[in-house]
Amino acid sequence: MISLVTDIISYCCIGLGVVFWFWGTVPLLGDRSVLFKLHSLSVSDTLGSMSIIVGLLLKIPREWPLLILALISLMIWNTVLGYVLAYCSSGGERND
Amino acid sequence: MSGIPVVMLLILLIPIYEAWRDQNIWQKMLAFASISSKTSIMILVISVLRDDWMIGVVGVLILSVGNAALMLLSHVIRRLEVQ
Repeated sequence: MISLVTDIISYCCIGLGVVFWFWGTVPLLGDRSVLFKLHSLSVSDTLGSMSIIVGLLLKIPREWPLLILALISLMIWNTVLGYVLAYCSSGGERND
Repeated sequence: MSGIPVVMLLILLIPIYEAWRDQNIWQKMLAFASISSKTSIMILVISVLRDDWMIGVVGVLILSVGNAALMLLSHVIRRLEVQ
């Protein structure tokens, strides 16, 4: 029974992550500005990927060190990449 | 569970099409940033499917190094634009 519940929750997490991915990637095809697309993309990619990794963690708890490392590096790197892309694409003006 | 990578692959086609279609360098960089994080997560999903953790380690490495390389590239592009 427990494994059934865990399986259902893990599939829900992975499904939610895939929906986030799709929701953040579709605006890429539009004609909005770079910063608008970057915002929706980095938020949805980071949250969606984290939800997928939590789903994987529920599926195979034995490998939790590697998946926690992936979760942490995802949180840090995707967020910082979003910031660096925003800074560089806006010409790097100093907005102090 | 094995259908999930197929759905992910279809979603991955969107930024690949955007990178091919758009001429603006920053729109292309956006698409490549999205491609890099999505492919590394897909590698993790496949490593869970196959229960092979060498692939998982590669996925985590690509996640970190791929994004770091994109950051360096965007700084280089910014310098080129400023000149």
